[in-house]
Amino acid sequence: MSLLEVRGIDVFYGNVQAIREVSFDVAGGEIVTVIGANGAGKSTTLKTLAGLMKPRKGTILFGGKDVTGLAPFDLVELGLVLIPEARQLWPGMTVLENLELGAYGKRARRERAGTLETVFGMFPRLRERLRQNAGTLSGGEQQMCAIGRGLMARPKLLLLDEPALGLAPMLVREVFKSLRTIRDQGVTVVLVEQNVSHALAIADRAFVLETGRVTLSGPARELARDRRVKDSYLGFASA
Amino acid sequence: MQELREVLLNTLLAAGLYATMSYGLAVIYGVMRIINLAHAGLMMLAAYVTFALYTRYEMDPFLSLVVVIPLFFLLGVLLHRFVVRRLPRTTGTPTMQSLLLLFGVWLVLQNLAYALWTGDTQSILTPYTLKSVTLLGVRVGVPNLLVFGVSALSLLALNFVLKRTYLGRAIRAVTQNRDAALLSGIDADRLSAITFGAGTAFAAIAGTSLSTLYAFTPDFGRSFLLKAFCIIVLGGMESFTGVAAGALVLAFLENALAAWTPIPTSFQDAISFTLLVLVLVAVPQGLPGIARKVARWRASS
Repeated sequence: MSLLEVRGIDVFYGNVQAIREVSFDVAGGEIVTVIGANGAGKSTTLKTLAGLMKPRKGTILFGGKDVTGLAPFDLVELGLVLIPEARQLWPGMTVLENLELGAYGKRARRERAGTLETVFGMFPRLRERLRQNAGTLSGGEQQMCAIGRGLMARPKLLLLDEPALGLAPMLVREVFKSLRTIRDQGVTVVLVEQNVSHALAIADRAFVLETGRVTLSGPARELARDRRVKDSYLGFASA
Repeated sequence: MQELREVLLNTLLAAGLYATMSYGLAVIYGVMRIINLAHAGLMMLAAYVTFALYTRYEMDPFLSLVVVIPLFFLLGVLLHRFVVRRLPRTTGTPTMQSLLLLFGVWLVLQNLAYALWTGDTQSILTPYTLKSVTLLGVRVGVPNLLVFGVSALSLLALNFVLKRTYLGRAIRAVTQNRDAALLSGIDADRLSAITFGAGTAFAAIAGTSLSTLYAFTPDFGRSFLLKAFCIIVLGGMESFTGVAAGALVLAFLENALAAWTPIPTSFQDAISFTLLVLVLVAVPQGLPGIARKVARWRASS
């Protein structure tokens, strides 16, 4: 059974339609990546899944349960967590405070101490920066803190919006490596990423969004070889 | 030297009260992006409730806080539940609807007070109202000292909650980045209700304090609301230390100008108004903006 089933959702910004009848499935334990140009609706899709936006049509099932239109905090409690674009940390709070607040929900709060150790195991650098304000971290450290905060909520499904944006190549590799570790710990991952070749390399499956519609989907390895994907999204990186 | 001591001590005493009434506004603004224009009305109402408890039950005004604080917290939660929550949600700047709505609430509270207590000037005269003590060589009114004590305790309590509890951290999180707070599982609606209650309780603490220092009518509170605006614009809406600094600056200017210039004390309200305009024109980001500029300048040189 699929962990996440999206059935024909339409999403609007005011009167502008951003998502048209998008449907896809995510099975438990896989990494799925969403590919698309700027403005294709990738971020909107993730925001809708996380409850920040409400679909005007269609349904979203999570773990077989209809979660369409639920508030973000309800979805977090169920285990559906979004790590938003541009990190969105609380700059005036310390790294520890950011992480601890990630475990705000009842379920996550009980396991806070243990999860914190797991996060430090994955990102030892965060332990060194514990008492520092999140606003003073480097870009890479901020991303680690953002991923760490997301993990603190004990997600079953983790949605990531552009986690490698603006990072140095070395750090990009580290972030992608951490996503594999997260999946190996049993968390399902949906990844939106500009860096398509990296994303396809770690993903099991992928689908392509074009102007709000799913135009292509399949195993990531096949899509990486697909001519249309190569021409539109991989550019010279595939040459 | 004596004058300087007087000015500094009076500044400190006044700043405590100013900060207390400003935090009520700031915390509500931070979480909901709403400017609570009813703040003045709530201060006034708290003054009357304190007055009623004193005249009916001979309850000491400072002791009455034990009743007033929970009562106004509840009032704030109800105000949020039945009035404020119906506003369209905003994430950016306060909307005209929210300003008008809360201005309306203020008018309702004012007229309620007229109906219940008439427009006559009231004051609370306790056995210690006119007493004073000498502190560091300066004569200070006993009520002023007690008010400072209440303010200091309230601010310490607020600081503890904001820094050490999950609830307080959630309030700071919503203030700093609302979307991130929602995505971390924080129920913003419930938190807004609690925040509105807390902001109202702070208005009440300020109102009760003011009632021991000044006479009041149902119009009471307007000039103090203005001072709170001035402090918040000066200190920035989102930082605890900023508001405290703003309160100190305003209190110092008021006391210093009264002591060292021929400006009469009846012009005190004009000081906050002038300062408000000057700050908005010259340094719209307030003290935090200046601090950031200085930090950048020092980093670059």
